[in-house]
Amino acid sequence: MTMAATETPEPKTETASAATPAAKPEDAPPPRRASWGRRLMRDRAAVAALGTLAIICLAALFAPLLATHDPYVNTRSVMTPPAWQTGGDIAYLLGTDGQGRDIFSRLLYGARLTLLIGLISVGLGGFVGSMIGLLSAFYPKIDAWLMRFMDMLLSFPAILLGLALVAVMGQGAVPVIIALAISSVPDCARIARGIASGVMKMEFIEAGRAVGLSDAALFRRYLLRNCISSIMIFISLRFGQVILIGAALSFLGLGARPPLAELGMMASQGRDFLLFAPHIAVIPSVAIFVIVLAANVAGDALRDVLDPRLQT
Amino acid sequence: MISTIIDRLLLSIPVLLGVLLFGFLLLQLVPGDPARVVAGPSAAPDVVEALRVQMGLDQPILVQFWAYMERMFTGDLGRSMISNKEVTAELAAAIGPTVELMLACMIWSIPLGIAMGTMAAVKRGSIVDRAIMAISVAGVSLPIFFVGLLAVQYLGVLWLNLPFIGRGGPLWSYDGLRHMILPALSLGAILVGPVARMTRSSVLEVLKLDHVRTARAKGLSERSVILRHGLRNALIPVVTLIGLQAGYLLGGAVVTETIFSWPGIGRLVVGAILSSDFTVAQGAILVFALGFIAINLIVDVLYSLLDPRVRK
Repeated sequence: MTMAATETPEPKTETASAATPAAKPEDAPPPRRASWGRRLMRDRAAVAALGTLAIICLAALFAPLLATHDPYVNTRSVMTPPAWQTGGDIAYLLGTDGQGRDIFSRLLYGARLTLLIGLISVGLGGFVGSMIGLLSAFYPKIDAWLMRFMDMLLSFPAILLGLALVAVMGQGAVPVIIALAISSVPDCARIARGIASGVMKMEFIEAGRAVGLSDAALFRRYLLRNCISSIMIFISLRFGQVILIGAALSFLGLGARPPLAELGMMASQGRDFLLFAPHIAVIPSVAIFVIVLAANVAGDALRDVLDPRLQT
Repeated sequence: MISTIIDRLLLSIPVLLGVLLFGFLLLQLVPGDPARVVAGPSAAPDVVEALRVQMGLDQPILVQFWAYMERMFTGDLGRSMISNKEVTAELAAAIGPTVELMLACMIWSIPLGIAMGTMAAVKRGSIVDRAIMAISVAGVSLPIFFVGLLAVQYLGVLWLNLPFIGRGGPLWSYDGLRHMILPALSLGAILVGPVARMTRSSVLEVLKLDHVRTARAKGLSERSVILRHGLRNALIPVVTLIGLQAGYLLGGAVVTETIFSWPGIGRLVVGAILSSDFTVAQGAILVFALGFIAINLIVDVLYSLLDPRVRK
């Protein structure tokens, strides 16, 4: 019986075979889990995406050290093209904007704010959403109510919430963060509930109940721990989308306010100089594109490796 | 069939009430005294007081809410705080261009996305598949304003000399059509990626099913297997996806309208928010929310028309 089991290859282990050349029949661990890191590393696009994200995050984190100029101070060299173009100045690596501010330095600070807005809103919305989802899987009594409420929230698209909140609170990063967080809640709640209701059907939950664990312990130690990785993957998949919506709101002039630098806002400031100095708008736009692309590719790869169930 | 539609209509009533409540709270939450905002900062105190009584602001909040609901159902959205025109008139003028833009973008991007997704699924794993998937991941990650700015720069100014400011008149006129090209192209560009991705996974799913194998075994041509037996069934989830993308498209429309000075609701709402014209902002946000509910309703009905299993 055991021999037969080792000879039939598991359907999902095509790439794991190298890691476990000869699985021993007596203590065959699930090989899929053991080697996910290695499988991720074999996906070259994923490695490139993760590397890019890491570099961008580090650059944003250490913006004050890396910036060659003060990002908020105007200079006389207005609309200098990037250094590699004719008329470029090596002192201004990516050129200067319409007010003579160094684009490279502004890019670092702008990426900082853009990433921060994305992280806070995904973190906040993901946390609240997954708690709602987990609770509604854990307590079937409140399930229908919570999910109805989530359906209602779902009928307010993020951009609408953003517009409404900015209309009420005035322009700024805070209403944008709140809107993005709220609009992440229903999606995360639905996914978390789906994952958690699968876990709730497992025998160990019943076993935990049978030995008399409190609800809190059961929730924290049994349910939460078994769901958390899948939920985290889904939340990471949202990151790119949230950054895009946030940047769009900033581009419209509804996000962070001018003395600060934000990538979407920088692109909209470059709009007026599109014909004479396209780099002012193009560079921050490309930066957003690279961040979101890297986040999407990395998120997709993580999902494929860690949790193929979530695949759409 | 009819009962599905009725069910769905009944379900949207609470959402509708939620939207209206949301619109009411919007104006309640605006900082400062609405009467003072309407009267302007230099108005005498007794004028403000008279206006407060006229606007019903001295009434208890529930009475105000009731009056608000009455006005909503009679289609009275008040007057613009800036131009003093009827809000309904401003909205009526803007709604046509927005619908026009959305239809024009969908008419090319959805068929293209479906074609790309089907091709990728049929040639799964090939270079064609990878190229199409790479394009669509890139498409999902592109900031909409970047697409718009590139369209203005290259197609509008450098290469084709297409108009990129405003609407050129009715669609059937030569000028109207020319003005429509760039906005429709930019907005559609963000829709191709998601549609292609969804179609691909949906077609892959369907091609695995028994009836497709039967069709192949019957000796049908590959073309008819894929188009008649595969794609037709695969399109059902794609229709739902388009409903889900409506919010995303809405956000894209707001940005696109702003870039191309397209006289639609999106530009109206951004302008209203930036100039603190709360009544217009409220009206436009309500119209957007209603439009979003209507799109989802239509998608659900379409879904039941396409999928005989849902009809019961």
